Amino acid sequence: MKRHTLLFLLLVAAFASCKKFEDFQINPNNPTIADPSLLLPAIERTAFSTISADAALASRYLVYTQSVSNSQYYGWQRSGMGYGNISQVVKMEQEAARTGKKNYRYIGKFLTSYFIVGMTQTFGDIPYSKMMQSIRFNNVTDTAAIRPAYDRQQDVYRGVLDELKIASDSLSAAELAVTGDLVYAGDIEKWKKLVNSFTLRVLMSLSKKEGEASLNIQQRFSDIVSNPTKYPLLASNADNGRLPYYDITGNQYPYFNNNSMKTDYYLDSTFVDILQELQDPRLFVFGKPTPSSNLPANDFDAYDGLRGSASLAQNTAKRGAGNASQINDRYSYQATNEPSVLMSYAELQFILAEAVVRGWITGDADTYYENGIRASLEFSNFNNTYETADINDYLARPVVALQPGNEIRQIITQKYISMFMNTGWQPFYEQRRTGFPAFDVTGSGILNGGVVPKRWMYPNDEFLNNRVNVESAVKSQYPGGDDINGVMWILQ
Amino acid sequence: MLSLLLQVAAFAQNVTVSAGANVTVTGTVRSASDNTPLIGVSISVSGTNRGTTTNVDGKYSLSVSRDAVLVFSFLGHVTQQVPVDGRTNINIQLQPGGSDLAEVVVTTALGIKKQQKTLGYAVQEVSGETMAKTKTATALSALTGKVAGLNINNTTDLFRNPGISLRGRSPLIVIDGIPDPDADPYKLNADDIESISVLKGTAAGALYGAMGVNGAILYTTKKGGRGKLVVEVNSSTMFQPGYTVVPEVQTVYGGGDQGKYAYVNGSGGGTEGGGWIWGPKLDQRDPSTPSGFYETTQYDSPIDPNTGQRIKTPWVSRGRNNIRNFFRTGLLSTNSVSASIGSEKGSFRVSASHIFQKGVVPNTELNNSSFSIGGNYRLSPRLTMDAKLTYNREYSDNYPTVGYGPPNYLYNLILWIGPDIDIRDLENYWIPGREGLQQRNYNLSWYNNPHFVANELLNGYKRNNSFGQVTFDYEIANNFTVKFRNGFNQYSTNSELREPNSYVAYDYISRGNYSTDVANYFDINSDLILNYNHQFGKAFKINVTAGGANNYRRYESAYTTTDGLTIPGFYAISNSINPLKGSNLLRERRTASAYGMLDIETFGFLYLSLTGRYDKTSTLPIKNNAYFYPSAGVSAVLSDVLTLPKAISFLKLRGSWAKVNTGFINDNNPYAHIFTYNIGAKWNNVPSLGVPSQFISPDLVPETVLSGEYGIAAGFFQNRLNVDVTYFRNKDYNNFQPVTLSQASGYGSIQKNANVYLRKGWEFMLSGTPVRNKDFKWDAAINFSSIHRWLKESTDNSDGYLGLVKEGQRTDRIYITESRAPDGQAIYNSNGMQAYTPIGQYFGHSDADWIYGVQNTFKYKDFSLSFSIDGRLGGLIYSTTNQKMWWGGTAKGTVTSYRDDANAGQNTYVGPGVVVTGGSVEYDAHGNITSDTRKFAPNTTAVNYISFMQTTSGGMLNNYHYYSGTYLKMREVVLTYNLPERWVKGKFSSASVSLIGNNLFILSKIPNVDPDAESDNLQTPSMRSLGFNINLKF
Repeated sequence: MKRHTLLFLLLVAAFASCKKFEDFQINPNNPTIADPSLLLPAIERTAFSTISADAALASRYLVYTQSVSNSQYYGWQRSGMGYGNISQVVKMEQEAARTGKKNYRYIGKFLTSYFIVGMTQTFGDIPYSKMMQSIRFNNVTDTAAIRPAYDRQQDVYRGVLDELKIASDSLSAAELAVTGDLVYAGDIEKWKKLVNSFTLRVLMSLSKKEGEASLNIQQRFSDIVSNPTKYPLLASNADNGRLPYYDITGNQYPYFNNNSMKTDYYLDSTFVDILQELQDPRLFVFGKPTPSSNLPANDFDAYDGLRGSASLAQNTAKRGAGNASQINDRYSYQATNEPSVLMSYAELQFILAEAVVRGWITGDADTYYENGIRASLEFSNFNNTYETADINDYLARPVVALQPGNEIRQIITQKYISMFMNTGWQPFYEQRRTGFPAFDVTGSGILNGGVVPKRWMYPNDEFLNNRVNVESAVKSQYPGGDDINGVMWILQ
Repeated sequence: MLSLLLQVAAFAQNVTVSAGANVTVTGTVRSASDNTPLIGVSISVSGTNRGTTTNVDGKYSLSVSRDAVLVFSFLGHVTQQVPVDGRTNINIQLQPGGSDLAEVVVTTALGIKKQQKTLGYAVQEVSGETMAKTKTATALSALTGKVAGLNINNTTDLFRNPGISLRGRSPLIVIDGIPDPDADPYKLNADDIESISVLKGTAAGALYGAMGVNGAILYTTKKGGRGKLVVEVNSSTMFQPGYTVVPEVQTVYGGGDQGKYAYVNGSGGGTEGGGWIWGPKLDQRDPSTPSGFYETTQYDSPIDPNTGQRIKTPWVSRGRNNIRNFFRTGLLSTNSVSASIGSEKGSFRVSASHIFQKGVVPNTELNNSSFSIGGNYRLSPRLTMDAKLTYNREYSDNYPTVGYGPPNYLYNLILWIGPDIDIRDLENYWIPGREGLQQRNYNLSWYNNPHFVANELLNGYKRNNSFGQVTFDYEIANNFTVKFRNGFNQYSTNSELREPNSYVAYDYISRGNYSTDVANYFDINSDLILNYNHQFGKAFKINVTAGGANNYRRYESAYTTTDGLTIPGFYAISNSINPLKGSNLLRERRTASAYGMLDIETFGFLYLSLTGRYDKTSTLPIKNNAYFYPSAGVSAVLSDVLTLPKAISFLKLRGSWAKVNTGFINDNNPYAHIFTYNIGAKWNNVPSLGVPSQFISPDLVPETVLSGEYGIAAGFFQNRLNVDVTYFRNKDYNNFQPVTLSQASGYGSIQKNANVYLRKGWEFMLSGTPVRNKDFKWDAAINFSSIHRWLKESTDNSDGYLGLVKEGQRTDRIYITESRAPDGQAIYNSNGMQAYTPIGQYFGHSDADWIYGVQNTFKYKDFSLSFSIDGRLGGLIYSTTNQKMWWGGTAKGTVTSYRDDANAGQNTYVGPGVVVTGGSVEYDAHGNITSDTRKFAPNTTAVNYISFMQTTSGGMLNNYHYYSGTYLKMREVVLTYNLPERWVKGKFSSASVSLIGNNLFILSKIPNVDPDAESDNLQTPSMRSLGFNINLKF
């Protein structure tokens, strides 16, 4: 019997050594609560990572030679939405409320506004006033929450402008410090500058809606510019809203060691023409001389581009003959290259110059314009390729100086040059708004009937998950259906 | 008698010494056809080496334990297994014919042995003997084609697990009664396997609970038997001397683009053509050059010391045999030895094996060693113990990386090295003077030198497995027993990656890296099982089993990697340039269960089995973490009660129903029901968290499979011909699935219980003995099966769709976005390139219509020849290899005059198909065409052939690279010669020599790749294996 007792004990031991079921209800690998400073970095990375080769193809800076690119030939269809980014912001705001760290909330308002503007520029009407209810209220059952209604684009913009004002008015250095900030290291004054400058960008993007009383664009614009104490603006390149890169795996320049960037991206000939016409030394830091050229790298004639609208075969043939300039090596061989910019001081200066020309504010357009050009040249001066004297020479060129009647074209063209491989799709949207510079669509490779698209189709997941609302948004905006050539409200 | 039989059979896996004193059994064996005594019938005790034969009167006498199972086998007759059941006299009639459906005993859930005829569900048993001589890297592969409903996808890559699906799902693996959730197919020594039992349905696996919801594969390993010492040596050597399928690349054009190529510095840009294989034609005469051939600068062209410029060298097809020149002959060598002995009190068996596999890729190999010891002992007259422990070690200093991408040598060899480059020249893979720092290759932006990858990019892997069990059986009364079983699986792994300086990946060139990933796993299963049986009168017998179980598992891992290496080639964690990166994991899971089974036999032909199981699991919220599931099975052996036509010797109908719940949302993550932050990447060493886009419902309940299975088994002509047909229908509901929301809600999806699916299928088995006489016997077996899955209900979408799939449609639909006219012709854009639709369009199905296997065995005197053929019919397989070959320029089909025209700068190629000349087409959100007023005209836009292929991969010429998966493969041929007894007498008890061929040839519709794996993401060429096996028993 003793043996059997032993057996019984063994049995008891085997069952008794177990943990209780309640003990397994905590995931030991991932946290469930967090300080907002742990959520901010990933959101900033998304918002401030603006470097996009596709945007450069669509904006006629670059030409792609590996295959027919839909960005370059305007054959695109749908784009994706970015509400997942706003979800991160909402969660950060919730953690900010929990911990009493208010500044995160207002930085969050800016970031949400930035993501929303990006989406409405892409599609037109989007969900705004009814968005984020599932994550905000843990409501995953009500139709109104899981299938949010769309807002008209003008209402989206009004909401964004109001939110940006709240953010600027409420950010305060007296509140608890912001940490985990990859952009401004917790400098609240700089955040205010970015929020205000970005507000001016949004207002300028509405230039076709100057007369829209509900938005009151000019008034809002001058309210900010006329009160620099309350509404400080970016004051130099040091204030740029940017994300620097580091020589740590995963933190490097996005096209560092990118195989395609090393072999398949060439300057667009229309872009080369602009730079050559202006004798712009930024050509030397944007591109590299053609293989067939024996001229020095600082000779404008050492450069030639491919034509974005030409057929792939024409472009690959010209490349194969050694007659095309690749993008500069720094974009794929330098681990840190240059920071990614959400909004630069230079861009702000060009906005102010344009506002003067449009009569929204008073001031000296030439000064704003030259400040912008100088800041851009300084920002792009990789490895001190050119001297300060070169910058001064450039500014002194008659072809560069603002000419009466041509101001908008010149300002936008300079803004366009300053945004090479930076600031995301902003140059494309500026061109869409102003028509400058003209994007070449005359080559034989062009798609979309030879027209530059005005937008992207809504993502298919909205038709699957929010059909009634997206279909009604399409119907109310675009008589031709959800089409890439539809003209959204801000462009009408 | 049958209930007793059931009771005893229930413990047959431990029977050898389990209960009671020995009895001496005597009896007579007669032929069932004419009742004459059979002389020389071999009688063995199951699970042992003991046995005897009948004398001239057909009589035998044997001393065995009360609960032993006797196996009567005789040439030309059906082997019969008969439990002794305490009897002292057993007279047997042997049926002439092949395998007998009436008396076969199989292993079922929890290791309980049952007569197959009593089962309401499908179980197929494969003898270990069948696999002993077909040497494959894993025991699992040897099952290919042999079991209806079991689909094994054999990969051609070294040290990769074969895919396994049973009725479309991944089954539970069980070794000697202990579930093996990790299911490492390499850890079991094939020579240790006594038999494999495949429990096909949900009902069959119901007693395993949630783990067995997809059926189970039960391995039973060999045990020692009473009697004298038996030593067995098995040795085989297989070579891989040739290719069953190897990609055939063009050898006419070299690297470059648009027919141009001139090497500058290896950056790939400019005149180097971006890394394409669309360069100039090779071997072109040019009288103006020194060599007489067209010349250009190449990566190995000499540099003129005066100018510093490269001197042009002839552009010739020196690499036309690159693939064959790179690979080497593979080798699979298996050696095993085992010894067993037993006495009245107990027995034991020890075994050791070693498998060495030399890969066809240079510098790749795999070692696999196993040791096991097991035995049993009668501790007291009523208490017996059985235990087994196995240790296994898998280790490889380097095994190849697979899949499309830079670390795969095939990526660099088949797709992105043109025939202008001789792979043998790249054996010097460092740039002189920069050894250890910079690899030597013709393109340094995109590609790696395959020899550099093989010799310097090293995947090391070591794994130590141990597993085993201890079982106690106690007989409380003659019809009441208790069993207590504890089993465990443990492994520890260490995976290392050594990444050399200058190794190229996408968006990445290595500064050297070293990473280690160590993991520890442990699980323990404890079962306490009570069994009671009773007979009421003559026609009613019951057998009751009740048990409790506890299952616990724990997995821990830690991953550490450097970010760059300070000292090149010094692979140590401490050598990192930047701060180390790492992560670790802990996963624990527990399930507690109670279960019961009631078997009832009535009227001598009707068998009913009811089971129930109650599980409580840690993987669900506490409020919903306990659940019950029942099953019922019924079997009616009609041939035992009805008078059937003489041709029908056996007829059985069966049916079973089960409802099984599972609380395991994700087998690899026991915390999948808990909503947490994700841990994000660091930026400049600042940490970050993120919110998952998937919300997790707090109201999750278990997922459920409701299964019904119906079958018929029949034997004809004294069971010379056997037929077995099964139909099953599984309804899967309350599935753990993400239900998508508008992302504007804040979540992209919610993990909840949703949607209803149906899985239905047929399984047919046909086996028999077409020819049988004194010296010659031919056994044949054919099986074929089909399984498909349908969406029955989309529970969260009122429009009846789930994504693009509509209720009632199969779930393996393939959608493509290449635009096609209603007649299937490609539609082109104004630029002459393929047009695309804004939403996927239905293109076909990916599941096989049928899979099939055919086995034949011919025995003539001491020779036996067996071969196995299998394959699949229908279903589409996407081939990355073929797509990339057309895209990159290495496909043979690209050798056309259009390509020459493109090289000459002319646009002459007109894609076959149409353009839209007017009208428009509208789609709804599910891709259905709602209106179509398009008018078409033939495409006439001539384009550059090379640009066309670079943009379209020639999809429209090749069914968009979805190829028919139909194939027929000669899986294995084994010719065995059993050395005559007079030769081996006094030296061996038996000896045999076999010649083996595996993977001999294939007939298939897909070019360049082997469809066996049912997918292709740049696979290793399929190799033919030839070799021999020697088996000696002392």
